[in-house]
Amino acid sequence: MSDQDLVVETVRDILSAHEPFALTADTAWDAGLWADLAEAGLTGVGLPEEAGGSGGELADAVAVVRTLAAGAGAVPVAEQLLAAGPALLAAGLDLPDPAEPLTLAVAGAVTAEPVDDGDGPGRWQLTGSATDVAWAGVAQHVAVLAAAPEGIEGAVLALVDAEGLATSDARNLAGEPRGSLVLGGAPAAGALLTPARAAEVRARFALARAVQLAAALERVLAWTVQYAGERHQFGRPLGKFQAVQMELAEMAGEVTAVTALTDAAVQALGRGDDVVLAAAAAKVRAGAAVEAVARLAHQVHGAIGFTQEHKLHHLTRRLWSWRDEAGSELTWSQVLGVGLLAEGGDGLWPALTRVV
Amino acid sequence: MSSSLTLAPAPPSQAAEEVRAQVREFLAEELAAGTFTTHVDTWLSGVDPAFSRKLGERGWLGMTWPKQYGGHERSAMERYAVTEELLAAGAPVAAHWIADRQSGPNLLRYGTEEQRREILPRIAAGECYFVIGMSEPDSGSDLASIRTRAARNGNGDWVVNGAKVWTSNAHFSHYGIVLVRTSPADPASRHAGLSQLLVDLSLPGITINPIRILDGGHHFNEVVFEDVVVPGDMLLGEKGAGWHQVTAELAFERSGPERFLSTYPLLAEFARRAGDTGDAAQLATLGRLSARLLALRQLSLRIAAALDRGELPDIPAALVKDVGTTFEADVVDEIRRVVEVTVSLESPDPLGRALAEAQLHAPGYTLRGGTNEILRGIVARGLGLR
Repeated sequence: MSDQDLVVETVRDILSAHEPFALTADTAWDAGLWADLAEAGLTGVGLPEEAGGSGGELADAVAVVRTLAAGAGAVPVAEQLLAAGPALLAAGLDLPDPAEPLTLAVAGAVTAEPVDDGDGPGRWQLTGSATDVAWAGVAQHVAVLAAAPEGIEGAVLALVDAEGLATSDARNLAGEPRGSLVLGGAPAAGALLTPARAAEVRARFALARAVQLAAALERVLAWTVQYAGERHQFGRPLGKFQAVQMELAEMAGEVTAVTALTDAAVQALGRGDDVVLAAAAAKVRAGAAVEAVARLAHQVHGAIGFTQEHKLHHLTRRLWSWRDEAGSELTWSQVLGVGLLAEGGDGLWPALTRVV
Repeated sequence: MSSSLTLAPAPPSQAAEEVRAQVREFLAEELAAGTFTTHVDTWLSGVDPAFSRKLGERGWLGMTWPKQYGGHERSAMERYAVTEELLAAGAPVAAHWIADRQSGPNLLRYGTEEQRREILPRIAAGECYFVIGMSEPDSGSDLASIRTRAARNGNGDWVVNGAKVWTSNAHFSHYGIVLVRTSPADPASRHAGLSQLLVDLSLPGITINPIRILDGGHHFNEVVFEDVVVPGDMLLGEKGAGWHQVTAELAFERSGPERFLSTYPLLAEFARRAGDTGDAAQLATLGRLSARLLALRQLSLRIAAALDRGELPDIPAALVKDVGTTFEADVVDEIRRVVEVTVSLESPDPLGRALAEAQLHAPGYTLRGGTNEILRGIVARGLGLR
């Protein structure tokens, strides 16, 4: 058994002890699940011990995120372990206590100005509104990627205490909080990032979503294959009909392609490669797969899958949301297209063979 | 997900990257010298024996085979890098493609020692070409229904009668590996009674008739066998084991990068256009198509790594071919949505020509080597549904 298998088993045990899919209109997140994960040290996996994390490899953190995504765990683990946490560390900033949920806000409309509030350098004043913030109102800490002061290239990453910030109550299609945060200028620790480092932060976030998408896509396929084996019509399981087999095979092709590319992008990240284009590709590919996989999963499940009585929607609604988050499909497609042509129109093939 | 569908990630291969760089340099030189021009789908239509021999001289054919048979004992990952580079450049590789990809490995597995010594070094040299003898006029997807039959005569030789179709390159190739019925059809066991014969295409009684594809190109043929006497020792493998052997052969036929790179030269031409115009919609389309291609590369690399582990990943190969050939056709549709160009084989615009070539070849992508419906049936089996 690998380290990751152990991590997966632990997360599954914790998930199974909770009422699954506790997320409803009244509960913005699964605080009990988070508390159990935090107690087991799983909200610090992959973050170094000397920074207050639980240690372990990137692969361990990915295993935690994948397992929770496939189980529709309503907790900001992907943001904390794969996006905000590593971004803070890479910027030389302190990591908050991993038991307190942390998220990332990519907020181009927020501006950062350096301040000297007596706490020394690296203090910034952030003003403006950060929109579509994952787990706004839930996360206690927000790593905000804000616009750099005028005339300076790059962006500022600052760690903001969420307490007392005005939030709006928006949600994504799955009901996960995606509200706005209004930043009123309280000084926060931060660091100026070069454009390349800022791009890396955005790419890590996109890759985190791709990892979640891959895991959820796999689980949706598994559920659909299982359902096709159990549901009988015309005296046979649905899965015995060729028309249904074609649909399931198409789903399997899409899911397998997403997993292969996402795994490769994660491995590249683990090697320390520049993963902006790999993350862009993984996010775009995963998002594209959602179209066919969610559509066919619902088609095979029939009317019951179209109701809240069946579990399918917990993942399909997340799939429909996650594909557009952490940078839209259009944004990342263009980043990839432009990036692949960085060395000119004749350079596509060498660029493709370098991405992952 | 079912473990029969998923393969472990491919470990990085330094050797593959080294040979990739060598092939890339060679191709740049050849293109600069004008020895070939880039086209779409050249593993079907780009016939150039001189080019095939050059690849043979450089050790890029028969790469994974034992040295004693003219091979180079290199990894499937290295071979993958070579084939991928050739396809991306739209190089003329059709002459040797089938022999190098599947007939050689088939001979290595099932041929007699004499056949291996005689034929494999010539394939590796880029001098000996093969055809696939599977489909027949009345047997397409239902391959087990073939009627071409071979019966022993008094000398122990095989007398073959019947016809094969869609036989790419039969008009210049040297041998075919022909699936024949050696026992009467048995309704209780449809896959029984089939055998593979190694057939010299110059034998008396063989007639090769051209069949033209949509762009007028002559690649397909009908190959008719009339009392063709094939020496008794040309039985490949075991009598009656033809179905099993064909299945193994198809794993090689279905698993390579030609199942998603047939239209790559069109994508490369489109990239030049998008780079020139800077058009946002074109760049996004380039990004979307590239993301799909990058995923296919990873799937195909996993298959190469599995071949290096000695596995025969027939179900993942079927899956990759389904996803890959769907992509090949989608490249045409996606690009034409975002460019203003006259699509014609005579277009002065290289993008218009590439679109024309790719469009006229498009119906073939999802048919050859097993239709996508057949492939999805195999994937469904991998999912445990049949």
